[in-house]
Amino acid sequence: MSLIEYAANGVVYSSIIVLGSIGLSLIYSIAGFANFAHGDTMTVGAYATLVAFGAIGGFGVSVLGLPMGFFIALLVGLTVAAAVAIVTEKLVYEPLDIGSIGLLITSIGVAFVYRALIQMGFGADSIRYDVGHVQPIEALMPYGIRMTSHDVAIVVSGAILVTGLHVLLQHTDLGRKMRAMADNPDLARASGIRTYRVKLWAWIIGAGLAGAGGVFLGLFNQLMPRMGFNVLLVIFAAVILGGIGSVYGAMLGGFLIGMVVQLTPILSDVGIPIGIEYANAVAFLIMVAVLLVRPTGIAGETIQGEGI
Amino acid sequence: MRLLTDPRGYWSDLTTTEQGVAAAIGLVVLALVLALLTGALGASYFLFLFGLAGMYALLSLGLNSQWGFTGLINFSVAAFFGLGAYGAALMTASNSPIAGGFNPIIGLIVALVVAALVAVAIGIPTLRLRADYLAIATLGLAEVIRLIMLNEQQWTNGSAGLRGIPTFFEDWPVLGTFTEVMPAIELELVPGSAVVFGTSFWQQLLNVALLLVFLGVAFAVLRRAQRSPWGRVLRTIRSDEDLAKALGKDTYSYKMQSFVLGSLIMALAGVFYAHLNLFVNPGDLDPITTFYVWVAVILGGSGSNRGALLGGFVVVAIREGSRFVSDVGAIPIGGASFRLLAIGLLIILVMRFRPQGVLPPQRELIWSSAVDTAAPSRPDRGVRDVKAGEKK
Repeated sequence: MSLIEYAANGVVYSSIIVLGSIGLSLIYSIAGFANFAHGDTMTVGAYATLVAFGAIGGFGVSVLGLPMGFFIALLVGLTVAAAVAIVTEKLVYEPLDIGSIGLLITSIGVAFVYRALIQMGFGADSIRYDVGHVQPIEALMPYGIRMTSHDVAIVVSGAILVTGLHVLLQHTDLGRKMRAMADNPDLARASGIRTYRVKLWAWIIGAGLAGAGGVFLGLFNQLMPRMGFNVLLVIFAAVILGGIGSVYGAMLGGFLIGMVVQLTPILSDVGIPIGIEYANAVAFLIMVAVLLVRPTGIAGETIQGEGI
Repeated sequence: MRLLTDPRGYWSDLTTTEQGVAAAIGLVVLALVLALLTGALGASYFLFLFGLAGMYALLSLGLNSQWGFTGLINFSVAAFFGLGAYGAALMTASNSPIAGGFNPIIGLIVALVVAALVAVAIGIPTLRLRADYLAIATLGLAEVIRLIMLNEQQWTNGSAGLRGIPTFFEDWPVLGTFTEVMPAIELELVPGSAVVFGTSFWQQLLNVALLLVFLGVAFAVLRRAQRSPWGRVLRTIRSDEDLAKALGKDTYSYKMQSFVLGSLIMALAGVFYAHLNLFVNPGDLDPITTFYVWVAVILGGSGSNRGALLGGFVVVAIREGSRFVSDVGAIPIGGASFRLLAIGLLIILVMRFRPQGVLPPQRELIWSSAVDTAAPSRPDRGVRDVKAGEKK
């Protein structure tokens, strides 16, 4: 495989990681803790889409090798992930009064409950979406890129969602409130922003994007109850590289980490004995290095000892 | 021992929770004794379970000395456990790709040295970080260690694992032949169901003896450490690191000491596991082990050593209980999913309803001789019954 082919894979994988890391960063800065259940929220979205697609069926015209029914199922999955996150916030996180570390530990329990329930319903084996197998696009083959129309669908959908979020953050009232709250929650509250509502919206948007990321991860690889937990550390690496609290940093970090993970095989091509099996390990080591050298990440503000 | 001289006074001095826990332990022990006598539970299987429970208790003690004492969020418990198990197995196992065939004592020493070195290597970059960053970084590094164990087949045998690990006492003068010398005893306490004590029973008895030594040493060291000035500095760091710094303490150094100490105890549990199970593979480094131990510590009571002991036993009860329940078919779901659900719900419920745990540290933080029971609860002199300006 050539560099350009790894890079093409990297772009697809990055789109997924970007969707996951935006949500994690948003919740990290607005709800105020490292949400270890975020990866499993992705799994929830992926399996909800599987169920919805089974019920709706593949009707309608086919766009990029995916029937219209799949895109509707994607919206259902996104909604279910957001709904599950809201229910969890109301039932579990809201009644707690134990600080950010306690919330972090609780979120691990939440992650296990999500995964256990999915495993009970669908078994531990891997499943695929019933959207058929597509051949790589012929037009790209001469350039050495093996990319299916599904991969293109992932990148395009990811780009649409990210653009939508950008418009929301920059040009709507809710977006301004969110940015204000991510910046300084106390000041935001003092200025009359209803921080509680903004927090619920952060959960909805963050979990919705995570759900979409989960669906695309399922389309890119396959669905497994562990898929979200396995990708969680990569997403954390992306968020920390980008800088916690910065949505745009999370986008950049997600893109870079996604590329690094998919480009790891290049290392063994140039003689460094680190194979594809260490792709995630390389991402973590980058994360640790970032934490050491520049704990605020690429785009993070210099908040010293600010304990969010 | 006050328990022996004045049992009633000892009992009434306990808090309500302590009395409840003591009663529950009594009931469980009674049930186990009955099950053993009637033959419902095999004696050697019981000892195996006891060994497993003690191993989790040991892991919990290790995590407690990091999280409970110092407030370090270490999500790499499984990695240090795995390092201990692999360190011991690689030195002793018959199919070990590097060394193999050494005395288990050498394996023990190598495992502890390796764990200490790795703990320092992980601690240097991560211990300066904020608490939630430490959590993420340690989880990531645990995954790196797991990947190395899985993929470096020339050193670790990869997913095939290591077999042919001797029992710990194999080369010892008397204990090495203990299991062969001991006769198979058959006891018929309840008519019709004989309890047999065969070779496997004596083997498990030796394992449990080894475990009790490990557990006793770890518990004694931690109990002493917790009450010492060193332990007080750790508690200060846990509640307010800036305060500890302001008092002139090198908090990074203290955190490192606490991290290495806890990691050594976790590796000790790993060494015991290698000689209990006689087989290790990369599956033993699964992150779920880390969270079992976390449940044990927060359920038992963060910072409390006896809480960690209790939590370790409860976690094994959940683990083995779920296996039993799904074998019997009492619930229509698989054991693995049930365990995951039970652990997840337990974390949420403890954090929601009793974040301090079942047995939070109370008097165990104070030297017992420093508690002056003879002192009156309020001074008998120099205290006016009526405050100034009040009418009598």
